[in-house]
Amino acid sequence: MSLALGVLPWLVSAWLFAVGLYGIVRSRHYVHLIACLAVCQSATYVLLLSIGFRWHAGPPIFYDHPPGSAAVDPVMQALVLTDIVVGAAVSALLLAIALQVHKRRGSVDPQSLRPLRPNR
Amino acid sequence: MKALTAALLLLVAVAGPSVVLSRDPRRQLFALTAFGALLAALFEVLQAPDVALSELVVGTAVTPLLFAVALTSIALDRRRR
Amino acid sequence: MSPGLRSLLLLLALALLAPFAWHVAKALPQFGSPTAAYGATVNALGPPLRHVSNMVAAVNFDFRALDTLGEESMLFCAVTGAVVLLRGTRGEGTTQRAGLIPGRAVLARSDAQVLVCRIACTLTMLFGLYMVLHGTVTPGGGFQGGVIIASAVLLLYLAEGYGPWRRLIRSPLLDVLESLGVLLFVGAGAAPLLSGHAAMSNLMPLGHFRDLFSGGVMLVTNFAVGLAVAAGFVMLLLEFLEETRALQSDSLPDEAQR
Repeated sequence: MSLALGVLPWLVSAWLFAVGLYGIVRSRHYVHLIACLAVCQSATYVLLLSIGFRWHAGPPIFYDHPPGSAAVDPVMQALVLTDIVVGAAVSALLLAIALQVHKRRGSVDPQSLRPLRPNR
Repeated sequence: MKALTAALLLLVAVAGPSVVLSRDPRRQLFALTAFGALLAALFEVLQAPDVALSELVVGTAVTPLLFAVALTSIALDRRRR
Repeated sequence: MSPGLRSLLLLLALALLAPFAWHVAKALPQFGSPTAAYGATVNALGPPLRHVSNMVAAVNFDFRALDTLGEESMLFCAVTGAVVLLRGTRGEGTTQRAGLIPGRAVLARSDAQVLVCRIACTLTMLFGLYMVLHGTVTPGGGFQGGVIIASAVLLLYLAEGYGPWRRLIRSPLLDVLESLGVLLFVGAGAAPLLSGHAAMSNLMPLGHFRDLFSGGVMLVTNFAVGLAVAAGFVMLLLEFLEETRALQSDSLPDEAQR
């Protein structure tokens, strides 16, 4: 049981990434595709935070606990923190691009949009 | 504590496919919001309150709103054609 | 490439990679193993060196401030790109009337919505400011507080309706605030160069442990990030909401005033 719990976060992270990738490949709507990309990103968040975790340790905030008490890794949390906010801004940029695609081509279906041909 | 962590990890593993398998983007919004809330709970249990705070606000308030407004703009543009 | 072939290739690739993923999952240290040396060092040395109690903020805004500068530039570029894309094709200037989609009702705002959102907006804005200012002491910081302030502005939109909200939240002001945030961060990093120290050195007075004004240059970079994130997200919100307005060429009945 504890062996299963020891590898569960890595498996969940790999599963989320695979599922998100499947959604991106089989998507029929660009907005649906961007949400599947968000699922892929969350796989990396789960992986990073699970690497930094430690049993019976508190958060790396020493306001209530005295400095020197057991705490989890703060570097991983710092990475994920900035990642989440910047990921939301990049999703917004992708949504703006999807909007422009619809204005130009009239469709947001990735599988029905062909690349632009030259001299058109 | 171990049971709670394992349960949240499994819930997140189930919520991910629910986001992907919702084909209609308007339905997918709700799955995305629930996914963000579950992730925030998981980050809280993994002793990361800062990360849980930002994931809660971004994943349940800001990102679904941007999606909803983008979908409305696409519907408006479809009507104009 | 047909969709069927694409899915087949994906499933083939996933099937090939699955044994390697399982092998890596077994080879990684067990979930919950003791922390890596760098993290343990930061936890041990952070409070005596910098007099702060939030180690995550210390890593973000002092020890690894260069990485946060890169992240903030990414945020700035993403927001700029989205705004240029949307504003460039639509043009500047505001419109008062909501776009209509046939078959969807345009509802008036209820009194309950106005009251609750007005109360919630002020409380959330205050909470967001508290979160930004207390970043070095309790869980919080520029990133979290910035997005909370952005969601407070969203609540203001829900409370007041589009016309009054748009008159209050002006694009030039948001442009200035976001650029000011990035400039302040870069300035805080470049200022030590003028006196011969390395960039991003923490030369300001450090304050007492668990005090509000502790951390030195962390306070400046924290505030700069909060400013940039809040203004950036409100700008994104504004540009996306402008897209749902009616164009001059649309013909709308008179009750589409919102």
